[in-house]
Amino acid sequence: MKNFSRKQFLKTAAGAALVMATRVFSTPLHAADKFFREPPWKRKKPYWGFAVDITKCIGCGRCADACKTENEVPREAFYFRTWVERYIIRRNGEVNVDSPNGGMDPFLPPHDPETVTKSFFVPKLCGHCENSPCEQVCPVGATFKTEDGVVLVDRKYCIGCRYCIQACPYGCRYFHPVLHVADKCTLCYHRIKKGLNTACVEVCPTGARMFGDLSDPKSAITKFYETETTNVLKASMGTEPKLLYKGLDKEVR
Amino acid sequence: MDMSLIESLRNALPLVSGFIYPNELELQWSILIVLYPYITGLVAGAFVLASLERVFNVKAIKPIYRLSLLVALAFLLVATLPLNLHLGHPERGISILMTPHTSSAMAMFGFVYLWYLMVVLLMEVWLDYRKQIVEWSRSETFWPKRIFYKVLTLGVDNISPRSLAIDEKLGKILTVVGLPSALLLHGYVGFIFGSLKANPWWSSPLMPIIFIFSAMASGIAAVMLIYMFLCWARDVVIDMPCLDTIGKFLLTAIIVAFSLEMLESLQTAYEAEEHFDIITLLVEGKLLVSMMLIQIMLGSLTPMFLLGLTQVVELPEKVRKVFYMLSGSLALIGIFAMRWNVVIGGQFFSKSLRGFTTYKMHLVGREGLFSAIIVELLPLVILAVLLYLLPPWEKESHSKSPTTAA
Amino acid sequence: MKDAQHLLRVIIIFVAALVGFLLVRSFLVPESFGKLGHYRANAVDDVLALPRHYAGEPACKKCHAQQASDKAKSSHRHMSCESCHGALQAHVDSPKTVKPSKPKENEMRAFCGNCHGKSLSRPAKFPQVDLEEHNRGMACNQCHQPHQPK
Repeated sequence: MKNFSRKQFLKTAAGAALVMATRVFSTPLHAADKFFREPPWKRKKPYWGFAVDITKCIGCGRCADACKTENEVPREAFYFRTWVERYIIRRNGEVNVDSPNGGMDPFLPPHDPETVTKSFFVPKLCGHCENSPCEQVCPVGATFKTEDGVVLVDRKYCIGCRYCIQACPYGCRYFHPVLHVADKCTLCYHRIKKGLNTACVEVCPTGARMFGDLSDPKSAITKFYETETTNVLKASMGTEPKLLYKGLDKEVR
Repeated sequence: MDMSLIESLRNALPLVSGFIYPNELELQWSILIVLYPYITGLVAGAFVLASLERVFNVKAIKPIYRLSLLVALAFLLVATLPLNLHLGHPERGISILMTPHTSSAMAMFGFVYLWYLMVVLLMEVWLDYRKQIVEWSRSETFWPKRIFYKVLTLGVDNISPRSLAIDEKLGKILTVVGLPSALLLHGYVGFIFGSLKANPWWSSPLMPIIFIFSAMASGIAAVMLIYMFLCWARDVVIDMPCLDTIGKFLLTAIIVAFSLEMLESLQTAYEAEEHFDIITLLVEGKLLVSMMLIQIMLGSLTPMFLLGLTQVVELPEKVRKVFYMLSGSLALIGIFAMRWNVVIGGQFFSKSLRGFTTYKMHLVGREGLFSAIIVELLPLVILAVLLYLLPPWEKESHSKSPTTAA
Repeated sequence: MKDAQHLLRVIIIFVAALVGFLLVRSFLVPESFGKLGHYRANAVDDVLALPRHYAGEPACKKCHAQQASDKAKSSHRHMSCESCHGALQAHVDSPKTVKPSKPKENEMRAFCGNCHGKSLSRPAKFPQVDLEEHNRGMACNQCHQPHQPK
């Protein structure tokens, strides 16, 4: 080691730096290739996805009601697995949002209707995110993503710390007042696995809600994903929800 | 169904302002989760103070070295209690250690906590006290106490100079390891909040750092007040050079914590992202008293002014003591308010960024004010027991113990 | 070595604690945990076993073929029976005892209006009437048959 002088050390270091630098510059930029990640439904069968066509929603609130019945969600105005919001946008830029009892109670006519430039309904539910923040933060593995892409809660294992409720950017989770665990949309997993529709899709009168198997190239949901101009909520969060919206306005959050 | 909860939520419905997602009416993390970072912060701060003596050789604060360790231990033993009390299923809490989810900040906290408790703090206290534990196990006349000491000796009563030298050396190594561990412990608490991208009031890489410095301020203030109280209770003269030095460190910690908080606010205001409007409303509204008045004016600026005065003006001892007591208490209140503003404040506004929910603290119940007060007082009871069993004042100074690692 | 004996005991305690922890862990971790991922694989079965309340359109068609074929030709063709009649798995399970609900005569305007009442938030193409003006006081089914609406 004694022979390894300072000069030699510097020489070696400089050499190594040079080699590394040339390698960086000589590698062709295939950044775009690296950004592409094949969606899991290309490999796994089935793989469930959901879509909402805002331009078809009439705000009847049937979905919110059916969901509560099917999944025995407490009938209080502050526990919802799915709900409907109404947006009213006025000429002066003012935005009014409401969701009376999650959309199950009638939406009352807006004041000063002549100032309204546009108005629409937005059904909300869990996006069963590919990078789901709720699953990420669950300390014990009580929230998980099934092999077919549905985010579920293990009611027998959840410790009730509510970290997942804090982590969901979409407000799709609540704390079950009877079971004392986190609760959320299961995409009616107990129905879809038996070939039935989710309760909300079943009762939706206008076909504003859709769900299906993304791994099936011929399914309606695949066609919707492939051909419609869609968006997701809070895309910048990188959660990659499997809940696409058609006709999503910039005011919707 | 818990009807009182349902009833209180129904009553909260008309108090919502603007639009919130329906599930956001219930504020999920209550006063207990405010205590969690507060108590953990006191641990980290007290330990950092102890490390100043051991690692950085600040001899002036030797009189409070052991006291700081005991304060840290007393609070650490309680740190996870508010978390567990808050759980929907406390009986399942152990799952965090059984099947920890490695991507969850909360799960990993369990291990950071265990590491810090078992390897750092308990070991350090034990090594530091071992000589006396052996002596007490021989001389103590009250038999339950004697048995307690006997157990603590682990059946080895070798206190030869060489074994003590080994202890001293290991203790020093542990403190050096412990310092980053203490910072990690509390920085990690900051990370639990700072890593939640869903909440713009929490999501910030500065969060762990701000938590660390405010933790130092709170821990130093707590040890300072406890030291002053104990001197008064035991009718002993306060070691003024020691107190002055603690005051200096307290000032430093408050200045750094406050500056970081202000820098973060500046950054948020200047970037003025999508969430800026709602955060402005939050700070000017629901947090006006707890943040502007208590956290900033009373909890940061006032102690900074008082402690700053002790640095620039020659003040008589009596005035300095009053100043230290005042600024210590204010800093503790201010940092509690800071934890409140982070934890509760972050849940007031909707993630739709369009409205606010409310929080009404219950008095009784598992998550009520009374249980919060008990959780807050429990560490002081534990500290009293620790002081009874391991009195920190009965010790000759380090310099007398045979050591080469000076 | 003799002078470090107390530390040896500490190490023994730590090792014992670790072994104890692992032992306890082997008992407390649920049997199916980790089979499919970091969760209890049996939790999936728990969810699958949840009761169903909505039977789904195919179940209705089995007995109510006439109504189904009427509806299939109408503009309500994309709607499910349970959209108006409510959750009916219980009716499918015991058709004699549990009867489906029908909107009452006096509630009909509100019931149909829930979808067809005029609202500036609804898509303009969707058929809507102003409930205040449109044949006030009359039940909707005096003119419109819900299974064959025009």
